[in-house]
Amino acid sequence: MWDQYNLGLLCVLVAGVIGFVALARETDDLHRLLLLDLVEITALGVIALLGTDLAEALVLPGLTVGIAELLALSQIYITKEGLKERPVRGLNIEVIQKADAPAIISGFLVVYGLVLSGFTGGGVAGLGLVFWFMSRGYREDLNMLEMASGISWAIWIFAFFVFMFFPQYWFIALMGAAVGIVLKVTVKMSLVGTMWGEQHD
Amino acid sequence: MIDLVGGVPLYVLEFGDELVYFTPYTITLFLLALTFTILVLISRPEKQVDIAFGGDAYRTKEISVSEMRFRRFMAIACGLATMGAMVTGDIFNFTLFTAMVGITNVGIVAAVKSPHVQDAAYQYGLVSLSATIPLFGGAAVYAATTGSLSMIELMKGTVPAVPLIAKGMLMLGVIGEGMAPFYAAKAEMFRAPGAPYVIMCSLSSLLIFLRVVEIVMLG
Repeated sequence: MWDQYNLGLLCVLVAGVIGFVALARETDDLHRLLLLDLVEITALGVIALLGTDLAEALVLPGLTVGIAELLALSQIYITKEGLKERPVRGLNIEVIQKADAPAIISGFLVVYGLVLSGFTGGGVAGLGLVFWFMSRGYREDLNMLEMASGISWAIWIFAFFVFMFFPQYWFIALMGAAVGIVLKVTVKMSLVGTMWGEQHD
Repeated sequence: MIDLVGGVPLYVLEFGDELVYFTPYTITLFLLALTFTILVLISRPEKQVDIAFGGDAYRTKEISVSEMRFRRFMAIACGLATMGAMVTGDIFNFTLFTAMVGITNVGIVAAVKSPHVQDAAYQYGLVSLSATIPLFGGAAVYAATTGSLSMIELMKGTVPAVPLIAKGMLMLGVIGEGMAPFYAAKAEMFRAPGAPYVIMCSLSSLLIFLRVVEIVMLG
């Protein structure tokens, strides 16, 4: 077990060193940001090597913080380079835009995500919706989706209060938390990349 | 327990997974962060003055209200993250708070329209993002070797010794958030106008460094 851990650690560190070498050789600012995101994955790899429930609980905040830093830096990059026009278009591929395949694939992903439920299910279902929005170049008022996300988040938090104060109703709390998180993650993920804040213009 | 650098914990709060404790050392740091956050909350930003060399002419830089609000919010968030890092008794929470200080530091100067400051903030952000790798990695090695992330457990001395590499990684991660060798880009960020907010960048990384010294000497 210890040997396996050491071996895994070695692999991850080698991957990290390769990433850092690439980072040192790269001079373009945007590419450096993308490479850093890649290197960041190795940090999550080190955590994941713990191989326990704790590791799963630690990877999630690690990932979130990484994404938050990435978003902050991307925003600075956009301001720094003076990029004003950010037209949002779908995938400009005729086959994807016209064919039924994206509908089938995203429908499958959404259904599979709902079956999985919980955080993972939310991720899978959200991926399906992202793919659907990307392929169709969806343009609509997404405020409703935002609201749904907020409400499902509130359900999730409420379920946690039930866990804490009324442990005898654990089953309803479990169901509430599972449904809340699957809705929240689905909605949030589907908003990534589709909601660019153009309504502020 | 006597030879701890931070002193004996006066108060330990265990709420589920969350662990908070106060020692004379961390209380001092916490109060410093709290005082400065309140100062940011109530003070108005300075206006930088440009003086034309060799003449009497000078002009102050105007800061718009929306820009000031955003920076004040970010400075307060930075203060809260710093306070969290001062009192937490969990290694991983400490690394998360440290990473959050890095993000808010970028945020404090992000609203400034000067391209020079923006560029410096971007470079600093790249450094602090790469510093999260040894930071999280160090915390993970802590958990792997001792089986615990609790600083109280580390204090008791009942868990196996923490390897030097884990301490080194943790230290490297904190240093990357804005201490000596990686300070260059951050120093440029201070050209941004608005005194109390910008100083928060400097103070937060100083306090976090003081805290990590205590953490590293625990296990």
